[in-house]
Amino acid sequence: MNQESVGKRRFILHVDMNSFYASVESVVDPSLKGKALAIAGNPQERRGIIVTCSYEARKRGVKTTMPLWQAKRLCPELIIRRPDFPKYRTFSKRMFQLLREYTEMVEPVSIDEGYMDVTHLASNPIEIAQDLQRRLYEEIGLPCSIGIAPNKFLAKMASDMKKPMGITILRKREVHHILWPKHVAEMHGIGQATAEKLKQYDIYTIGDLAQQDRYTMKQRMGVNGVKMWERANGIDDSPVNPQRADEFQSIGNSTTLAEDLDDEASLFHIFSSLATSVEKRMFEKSVVGQHVQIVIRYRDRKTVTRSKALDNTFHEKQIILQEAWALFLKHWTREPVRLLGITASALLSKEHAFRQMDLFTYEKDEKTEKVNQLVQNLQEKFGQSSIRKGAEAAPLEPHDE
Amino acid sequence: MKFQINRSHLLEGVQDVMKAVSSRTTIPILTGIKMEVHSEGMVLTGSDNDISIERHIPIEEAGNVNIEVAQPGKIVLSARYFSDIVRKLPGETVEIEVGERFETTLRSGASEFNLIGLDPEEYPRLPQVEEKEVLMIQGDLLRQMIRQTVFAVSTTETRPILTGVNMKLEEGVLTFVSTDSHRLAKRIASIDNSTEGLAFQNVVIPGKSLNELSKIVEESSELVHIVVTNNQVLFKTKNTLFFSRLLDGNYPDTSKLVPSESKTTLVLSTKEFLQAIDRASLLAKEGKNNVVKLATIDETNIQISSNSPEVGKVFENVTTQSMQGEELKISFNAKYMIDALKAMDCSDIEIWFTGAMRPFLIRPTEGETVTQLIVPVRTY
Repeated sequence: MNQESVGKRRFILHVDMNSFYASVESVVDPSLKGKALAIAGNPQERRGIIVTCSYEARKRGVKTTMPLWQAKRLCPELIIRRPDFPKYRTFSKRMFQLLREYTEMVEPVSIDEGYMDVTHLASNPIEIAQDLQRRLYEEIGLPCSIGIAPNKFLAKMASDMKKPMGITILRKREVHHILWPKHVAEMHGIGQATAEKLKQYDIYTIGDLAQQDRYTMKQRMGVNGVKMWERANGIDDSPVNPQRADEFQSIGNSTTLAEDLDDEASLFHIFSSLATSVEKRMFEKSVVGQHVQIVIRYRDRKTVTRSKALDNTFHEKQIILQEAWALFLKHWTREPVRLLGITASALLSKEHAFRQMDLFTYEKDEKTEKVNQLVQNLQEKFGQSSIRKGAEAAPLEPHDE
Repeated sequence: MKFQINRSHLLEGVQDVMKAVSSRTTIPILTGIKMEVHSEGMVLTGSDNDISIERHIPIEEAGNVNIEVAQPGKIVLSARYFSDIVRKLPGETVEIEVGERFETTLRSGASEFNLIGLDPEEYPRLPQVEEKEVLMIQGDLLRQMIRQTVFAVSTTETRPILTGVNMKLEEGVLTFVSTDSHRLAKRIASIDNSTEGLAFQNVVIPGKSLNELSKIVEESSELVHIVVTNNQVLFKTKNTLFFSRLLDGNYPDTSKLVPSESKTTLVLSTKEFLQAIDRASLLAKEGKNNVVKLATIDETNIQISSNSPEVGKVFENVTTQSMQGEELKISFNAKYMIDALKAMDCSDIEIWFTGAMRPFLIRPTEGETVTQLIVPVRTY
């Protein structure tokens, strides 16, 4: 971003699609409209979990990540659909295309949300938001919530305030009475682990955080502490970056252990289930990674992160686990471990990614590629959703449980 | 111990043995350089356990006196400090004196350093290698063979054996092969000067060792003696002994991986092709994929292209000297192609393709001393 625009007042929109997968399903099959609908892993199996659900289902108490059997008990007429990621990607593309009709300054954050910088547009940001929301609904059939604010962080917080189909304006001067009473964990970018840590310093609300001293926060939590403090005060200078490619993003999972552990077998088991969820999320986002990173936190809260750039793209649990475990063994002090995490980063979307074939196993790849080509040719001829590979039609279930 | 030595000779020697010294060693004494002075000259030794280098500086050379020995002896000095000091000392000569407790004085011009030395008896002995069976090769040829293969070794420890170069000697033909399983580089050379009947297959020298070795071997026709033992290899030049540990394990059989026939054959100017790939990879690198696409157009043209969604696209036509066989579209990592082309050392190359999903072969139009193999990429 150029120097001039720093410090100048900006208008940022955060567009967040409302229960995206469920909304897409009811566009494709209008009979689902207005019904309690959930998207879940394998519905034939009891252990399937809810990936997302419609607002009608939410009203009955159904929540994301809830096991299917529990959701069914709360809402017996719940309609279950399996996720269909190629379909969601198609809709996601259409949605971002529409956003880009207003400005090129669109930064996709995930399949169903993105930031727009509308500072330089002639129309008033509220009118833009209203028009955009209406068109997304009328032309594509999808509901969304939009936050309008002077920066990305506040826009993100704002879009979360009114769902579905809300438009919320959050001004910097309103931060202290709107954001400050909220719990810190409601702040975008603060997870359970960080909230726990903040508790040590008697920080419970966003206001508590905002009223800390900037320097103290830096001492306690480094650059991240400063970033949190700034955000709590409504400050966020990060630009909307349309070039922000997948490579800057990452997918990571970490878990605080029920008890501190130092035996290899248990730790390996934890890595294995972390790798499973990273694989699953990479699959859902249809990306492959180039770097593997691990986090180890010890009993004394000392935290170590180590990463490795692999010389090939990857998405398989087996590779994630193998590399993470090798990194762990190399850097682990053998002290009891409190938290472990795996992150896949330098992500590329599968459609733009390549896999370097191996001299010793290329014959196996040759077969896969033939199938890929066939699918691609048919898709070109008969449309994206005419055919897809079996493995893409059904989400992978964790296979180590 | 007390002696005086020509500073530039000492510096040259120290810089050579420094190539074996690692700051990350787990054995403290190996952070030092061992220095021994006797009536014939000086011996400097550096080692990191994987590589050991011994460098001789003769008392006299071509009528010039290098060293004046007052009292023979030996010492181990911190490699880091010693090399920096020798580099910056003001005089043409350096006087070195070691006391009973290994305290060492270095005098040069008006400058005097006192360094705390280490007990030379604690320095590990270098491997003893008997020179029964010797392979001899010209220094410049050895350097070229290293340069043409070592870049293709694996840099990951997934398959440790692939981090080395496989050196083979069969019927007077010396072969260097390396592969990281994505590409393969092979160089052969006829050797006349070796012990009768000498042959070996499974000798795998760490790539790092060969990189260091090529910095020490001179670009000249002077012969380097190579001696292979069970777990060590020794490269011997006039004044230097270079020992390297060998990698354990069996190097995979790579002979079957090289295609013996071609479905599409291109003949190209190495330089023009290299420059086109280099240009196409300007954008490819940005996309992190570094993948470029090659497509045949007609008998005298191919197209090189690359597409990075966030950056842009590039297309370039390259004139071929000939194109024979089937049409072809193939994608590969530009870096592997650039590395391979830079190692060809010839003006024209031939590329043999056997399909878009199979490794392809690059070799000079004349002679078969260099073979490069690259495995293409596939989409997801």
